[in-house]
Amino acid sequence: MALLSEKCKWIPQVQIKSQKYATACPSIDIYNYHPYSGGGRIILALLLETGRIEPSEELREIVYKCTECGSCAVSCKFLNTLEPLEIIMKLREKLVELGGGPMPKQQEYIEAANKVNNPYNEPHEKRLAWLPKDIRLDPDAKVLYFVGCTSSYRRQEMAIAAARILKAAGIPFNILQDEEFCCGSPILRTGDVKTFKKFLNKNLDVIESKGIDTVIFSCAGCYDTFKVDYPLYREYTFRVLHTVEFFDELLDTGKLKLIKEIPITVTYHDPCHLGRNAERYKDWDGDIVNLMPLVSINIPPKPKRTGSNGIYEPPRNILKKIPGLKFVEMERIKEYAYCCGAGAGVKSAFPEFALQTAKIRIEEAEDTGADTLVSACPFCSTNLQDGIEESGANLKYYDISELILMSLGLEPEKLKEITKEVV
Amino acid sequence: MVLEKEILKKFQDIVGSKNVNDGEVITNAYSYNWCMEYVNYMEDKEPIPFSPIPKAVILPSSTEEVQEVVKLCNKYRIQFKAQSTGLGPWNQPSTENSIILDLRRMNKIIKIDDKNLYAVVEPYVSGAQLQVEAMKYDLTVHMPGAGPQVSPLASATSMNGPGFTSPHTGHSARNVLGVEWVLPNGEVLKLGSAGLKNHSDWYNGDGPGPSLRGIMRGWAGAKSGIGVFTKVAVKLFPYPCSTEFKLQGYSPNYNFDIPDFMRLYVMDCGSYKYLKKVILRIEEEEISFMCSHLSGYGLTAIFSHSVESMMDKMPIASLKTPLVVLIAARTKYEFNYKQKVMEILLDELNLKNIIGTKYTPNSIFYAEALRSNLGLHGFIVTGGFQSAKGQCDTVKTCLRTTKKSIPLKKKYIKKGVIGNDFGEGVWMTSYESGHYFHVESITLFDQTDEESVKGMGEFMEDNYQFDLVKHLGAPFFVEGDRMHNMFGPYMMNYHKWLRKIKKAFDPNEIADSGFYISAKSEN
Repeated sequence: MALLSEKCKWIPQVQIKSQKYATACPSIDIYNYHPYSGGGRIILALLLETGRIEPSEELREIVYKCTECGSCAVSCKFLNTLEPLEIIMKLREKLVELGGGPMPKQQEYIEAANKVNNPYNEPHEKRLAWLPKDIRLDPDAKVLYFVGCTSSYRRQEMAIAAARILKAAGIPFNILQDEEFCCGSPILRTGDVKTFKKFLNKNLDVIESKGIDTVIFSCAGCYDTFKVDYPLYREYTFRVLHTVEFFDELLDTGKLKLIKEIPITVTYHDPCHLGRNAERYKDWDGDIVNLMPLVSINIPPKPKRTGSNGIYEPPRNILKKIPGLKFVEMERIKEYAYCCGAGAGVKSAFPEFALQTAKIRIEEAEDTGADTLVSACPFCSTNLQDGIEESGANLKYYDISELILMSLGLEPEKLKEITKEVV
Repeated sequence: MVLEKEILKKFQDIVGSKNVNDGEVITNAYSYNWCMEYVNYMEDKEPIPFSPIPKAVILPSSTEEVQEVVKLCNKYRIQFKAQSTGLGPWNQPSTENSIILDLRRMNKIIKIDDKNLYAVVEPYVSGAQLQVEAMKYDLTVHMPGAGPQVSPLASATSMNGPGFTSPHTGHSARNVLGVEWVLPNGEVLKLGSAGLKNHSDWYNGDGPGPSLRGIMRGWAGAKSGIGVFTKVAVKLFPYPCSTEFKLQGYSPNYNFDIPDFMRLYVMDCGSYKYLKKVILRIEEEEISFMCSHLSGYGLTAIFSHSVESMMDKMPIASLKTPLVVLIAARTKYEFNYKQKVMEILLDELNLKNIIGTKYTPNSIFYAEALRSNLGLHGFIVTGGFQSAKGQCDTVKTCLRTTKKSIPLKKKYIKKGVIGNDFGEGVWMTSYESGHYFHVESITLFDQTDEESVKGMGEFMEDNYQFDLVKHLGAPFFVEGDRMHNMFGPYMMNYHKWLRKIKKAFDPNEIADSGFYISAKSEN
């Protein structure tokens, strides 16, 4: 497949709505040299594979200054069959194998996860410190809320909101407490597959031993990792849902009722892990048939992961159901949304890059006229809020579950009090 | 070849240290480009997709910085190769003594003049970017077949530039107005009205005195071999229909709300002879937004998003000599008129439109037609293609080329080194409502298969000889000394004049001539 090297830098051409928001890739947008694009990184893989370059500090910097957001892959696969994101992930895996990766800061968090089961190096026993006293866990529940490291230690407001919404809907649920471990996402994204598999097995062993039907996640990263990456290494039978899917269902069935008006103008940021990357690989057991020299086809056609099966509508449905809330879209949305800048170990290894990317996204949000930016991922939350603070933007940020909670009738002020109290 | 530290420092002083990179990884990555492998093979080199590695990559942000970099290149006798959106081997250095000027930081739309119908852009504005901004004024821009992701500046100043919308938007050579040009010695030359002392503006490419547009680009451009173009004014055209552009669904299966006044016609002309009559007659009426001949095989590709999805389009694949006409209008009256004309023409020419009867394309086709994305469908079959030929001529010559080239192409198809399009795989479009025509022989090959790469190189080489022997015109990839020396003697010794131009503008050979012509005398 020809590597045209350019389409990956832009959102799908037919979706370009302005010069300002035409680009797809934070890495090439900020670092400019061609190898910082999806196509450029495929060239790096080719150079490494053919021995034209060796692992080096320069190579490592370029390979890891990528959020693995997958936007390049969506644009590429509009017409082609190249898999830029998969090649980038394999390139990292190769660098780890050759001793050329990951970045030192990423290695630090991997070691922390190995030691205390979370990349933040926080005590494992404090994983549940956020849990409000009035929330009751049900050890026999068929629904498990997998909180994730970031919501447990850094974005507790998301965990609190999720738990309170479940309570409001009368859903019996459980949390793994000291048996919940890092999902492995931040480790997998660095290319350290061996360590990742250790966490995958630990989590699946526990969940499968408890007879759980459904696991829900408020963290897009954990959700994507369970949904898309785990099955590549080990199959499981329980259902996985992000809280936006679960809460949308609860709203549809009337178990949750949004009654309180929230008179704000909101725009929604699609997290990469909940959007384009949350698309499962589909099994394909077909044949490659040579029709004629140089031309072969897959029979039946091999499914392409194009980003079209991400979770796009549930969060929008929820926002549109909140009384008084005005919803406006950014230019780059859904499968071609611009990344927040935090993913794949970038926030820890290259905080300045993460922040610059967040500021680009925040400007796009501001240009909609919205006063509030909403998303559904703790990584996006942290990075976008850092970006808002750094840029001085006149935007408020909420996780979508916080808005649900407010619209259920809990005053925002009260929410803040609760957050303070438990943190 | 490593850049001396002292020189590197001087480049850094001009553009800032982070905008110069001489690292092994960056420079090696810039040595890759699409189609480099068969170009290498044609030049008796290993058929790999890499050119010589540049000594450094430099990212200037302004004309002044480009000037300073070029002057420094002159001082130290280092060659430069400028690139913008960077598609194709023409962007590659031809010697180990070259640096690359990657112009991606020069990405501003300077001006859209909706009254006088032109826009002024820097090198790294893409066609799609300019188009969406022009659409805000109900205007559009010409984009080459290479697609909306490439630079209009590069196409207008340095490349060839036929496009699917050429009946309406012309040819890159004809659309270029004022130009800002950093000459190979670092001086700035402004062409046409952009260079006026008082009240300068960009509306005209020629001023008093001889036109320099021909010297700047001629037929197919100098591919940075005669300097660096830092700003260009290009013509804008009325957007052919409503600019409301609504897509629903997800990539790649978008549903497009087809504008009210658009209609597609695909007709089988049955023979090249009849196609000639039909295309001239239709274009005489000046109603088409697109008017292209593709082989049945090529036609299935522009309606498909994967090789598998081509398989259910046999009714169009079996058309013998298809012609695609897209009409579009901004008002009901205009649309009714165009439809009526087409009705009369179909009747007069005894043709049937298969659209809506034998075949109905997905709505995304119309979106891609409006956004000039159809050329990229050429990659879906074998993953790689390149065009042999590339004539700009009368319809008669274009079709003679097409017909006469079939046996040669079939020879290579039989060897199994290029894709089997029955030898008929061409794309032909009219320019400016049939005033002249363009044809190129789309040739499918596999860049990852060495035999296919070599076969493609040999096919290209044979094509050049064939074009000369059979008097089929000059292909658009006649570039570099060897090719110019081959074609020049058959064409009024133009290569001697071109060489004089190169010598006059670049006596020190600082602008990399690998895809242009060198100043040195012909041996």
